Amino acid sequence: MSLVARHLEAGGISTVVMGCAKDIVEHCGVPRFLFSDFPLGNSAGRPFDVESQAFTLELALRVLESAPAARTTVQSPLRWREDPAWKLDFSNLDHLTPEEISERRKEFDAGKAIARGKRAET
Amino acid sequence: MTFAPEHDVPIPYMQRTRDYYVALGYGTPYRWAHYAEVPFSPLKTPLAQARVTLITTAAPYQPGAGEQGPGAKYNAAAKFYKVYSEATDTVPDVRISHVGYDRVHTTAEDPSTWFPLARLQEAVKAGRIAALTPRFHGAPTNRSQKVTLETDAPELLRRCREDGADVALLVPS
Repeated sequence: MSLVARHLEAGGISTVVMGCAKDIVEHCGVPRFLFSDFPLGNSAGRPFDVESQAFTLELALRVLESAPAARTTVQSPLRWREDPAWKLDFSNLDHLTPEEISERRKEFDAGKAIARGKRAET
Repeated sequence: MTFAPEHDVPIPYMQRTRDYYVALGYGTPYRWAHYAEVPFSPLKTPLAQARVTLITTAAPYQPGAGEQGPGAKYNAAAKFYKVYSEATDTVPDVRISHVGYDRVHTTAEDPSTWFPLARLQEAVKAGRIAALTPRFHGAPTNRSQKVTLETDAPELLRRCREDGADVALLVPS
């Protein structure tokens, strides 16, 4: 998505990325980025919380209006949970047993095979 | 003086993912896109006069492509490989079972958390933005940077121009 933002921006369209993966977006480098420190899948706000979604969109619009230069990141002040323990779970090897790792590998290979087949069809 | 816990920082996804795939037995780590230079095109029109487009990585629901609902396991069969566009005057059925969202802490029950079209429609009604483009656009997430750069991004720019978009809101899921 960051690559698309860069391409549109170079083509004269002002862009803002709303996202939850700060390191990946900033590593690529985008013009404007509204970062929500939320689990992946919640770039636009909390589930069933219209107020948080409207607030997140408003922040993104303000980033569009006020970013002084490229690579402007604004972090939303909203917090997913008071306790930050959720951040320790995502793809964290310290939390997986060898059996779970082996199971994940099988799932990953299966997913890749399906995607390969599907890509070949298109 | 009380500081926040050390782990209360944005998740280091690149490091986590590298370590994870090495542990799964995949030796060559994924190389994320990385640039020193970043383009910048200042806003040319006040947002109250601007036409806004939405770009998503969510996929249209595909009957017959397996479980795509809330809590579904990663579903590679639900991926898409070509840019798609749909009307913005409805709220379409777009899903995220084809991407690696946080399945432990997110149930994916409310599409508005990854697809803010309803909130954008409200922003138009409130006069915060002038209009939405007639279509939103779907950007494939097939992990081929070459395809993204050479095929998908130019196609998305073409469609944005065709729709007269002044501004693009990009929301990865």
